[in-house]
Amino acid sequence: MNQKTMRLRVLLWLPFALASTCVTAQTTSAAPPAGRLLASNCFQCHGNNGKSNIGFERLAGSSSSEIYNELREMRSKVPPKMMDMHARGYSDAQIRLIADYLSKQR
Amino acid sequence: MNRRDFFRLASMAGIGASTAGLTGLVNAATPAQLGTVPTNTGISGRVVVIGGGMAGATVAKYLRLWGGTGVSVTLIERETAYNSNILSNLVLSGQRSMTSLQFGYSNLATRYGIRLVKGDVSAIDPVGHSVSLADGSKLPYDRLVVAPGIDFDTIAGLETPAAQARVLHAWKAGTQTTQLRNQLLAMKPGGVFAMTIPAKPYRCPPGPYERACVVADWLKKNRAGSKVIVLDANPGITAEPLAFTNAFEVVHKGVIEYHPGVSISSIDASTMTLNSNLGSIKANVINAIPAHKAGKVVIDNGLANVGGRWAGVDVLTYQSTAAPGIHVIGDASATTQPKAGHIANQEAKICADAIVRLLAGRSPDPSPITNSACYSPITADTASWLTAVFAYDPVSRTMQPVPGAAGEAAARSQDNYKEMIKWFNTLMEDSFA
Ligand SMILES: Cc1cc2nc3c(=O)[nH]c(=O)nc-3n(C[C@H](O)[C@H](O)[C@H](O)COP(=O)(O)OP(=O)(O)OC[C@H]3O[C@@H](n4cnc5c(N)ncnc54)[C@H](O)[C@@H]3O)c2cc1C
Repeated sequence: MNQKTMRLRVLLWLPFALASTCVTAQTTSAAPPAGRLLASNCFQCHGNNGKSNIGFERLAGSSSSEIYNELREMRSKVPPKMMDMHARGYSDAQIRLIADYLSKQR
Repeated sequence: MNRRDFFRLASMAGIGASTAGLTGLVNAATPAQLGTVPTNTGISGRVVVIGGGMAGATVAKYLRLWGGTGVSVTLIERETAYNSNILSNLVLSGQRSMTSLQFGYSNLATRYGIRLVKGDVSAIDPVGHSVSLADGSKLPYDRLVVAPGIDFDTIAGLETPAAQARVLHAWKAGTQTTQLRNQLLAMKPGGVFAMTIPAKPYRCPPGPYERACVVADWLKKNRAGSKVIVLDANPGITAEPLAFTNAFEVVHKGVIEYHPGVSISSIDASTMTLNSNLGSIKANVINAIPAHKAGKVVIDNGLANVGGRWAGVDVLTYQSTAAPGIHVIGDASATTQPKAGHIANQEAKICADAIVRLLAGRSPDPSPITNSACYSPITADTASWLTAVFAYDPVSRTMQPVPGAAGEAAARSQDNYKEMIKWFNTLMEDSFA
């Protein structure tokens, strides 16, 4: 067995060990970051947390106001391209949450 | 085969296949860009996922990314690699090979610590919280996600394996897609390709019309004088009416013959004849896409409580309305959203987020949003697109299209075609890499 297969196998078994420590529901964990689920609508094209570099524009780390303003401008573009159409689907408050979340990703 | 061998098989097959499907994109992204599984989130639980398609692969990945190492995730898939339906119509025109559309599972194991089990789930025990595999083994769960995609009704006349081997659906990408390509290659000039479209709901609303266009475009260039006869059970074109009306009446005029409102009573595979309310139609190749229903595991286990065919779900969590602790995502669920891969990916994220919150004793996000995006090739180098944004409506408790945020491309274009390839790569990265 080469090293790679070995490592793979160890990784595959890891969650098994963790599984045995299953516990009941608890609220000691931190709440999910605001805007993450909304922003995940961007990930299909812009990568997890907006960090893709294989296709569409990288969003992570852009300033919040930059993302916010760009999305708001897209709403009035005619004829709408696909992204212009998506921008029309979110309220100002939702766009703010998305922009804030993505701007914090490094 | 013992469990150890299963793992080896799953991971080895995964490595092989991933180098085919993800060439050029895995290498482009670093683990930091793709995301890492956090430790010490304080959340724990065992989640089992049935089906590693667009929905199942995504939910497994995001459960780990958002739940952390305390959430153990087991992904059960019967195939060794995923065959993407998306872009599979381009296999028919010879522009893509089926291998180039294969995605392995090894990334999910090595990058996110997802446990892979190659197997076929036969039974779900919602009381005892476990699933049984065809080989007799059992896996316990705290939360179960069911994402098996679809299965088909049998068209009268196509009951035997021999008939099914002649009249293909090619609507679950894989061997059948390549076989349908071979049937096209065997056609002579002046031939007839007839295809049937089932009544809604079916997966990928624009998909069949897209297929008619791709096939017509290829026949025009390679088998002059041939025709594509489209027999649609629906009263009219169900998606992108602008793009496809133009495609049928202008771009592929004289090649595509479109008939709405057609009911097929039977198909005779030996004489290649379709019997319908339009009379008998003979063809050289028949591509019959049968009516859809949720994957067998949903129907066999009492989860198909919508018309006996689809799984009813609460779209805040995708929890089944038939059994607690079980979530159903992707094509198998009954929602107001289209059955499509892009939206299956987003349903998976809402489901992952909800499960992580539920495991932590929190409530699900009360106002989720999903988006659907679909590109349709019209010719070998132009495409159209369709999109919609859906928001949760607390009154009807359904996902409703946001007014003004749905529609199709103003016109087909080469830019759209290039964007389609880019979108495919990023969508598959988000789901499988
Ligand atoms: C020709 C064509 C073109 C398309 N184009 C687009 C497009 O452009 N855009 C778009 O968004 N969508 C498109 N789609 C639709 C898209 O492919 C589906 O909507 C999507 O795959 C649904 O995802 P899913 O996870 O629900 O099912 P699937 O992707 O089908 O995955 C289900 C998985 O579950 C496994 N499975 C099933 N039962 C079991 C069991 N009992 N045990 C173990 N494993 C099991 C299967 O092997 C499979 O891997 C297209 C479809 C077709 C046919």
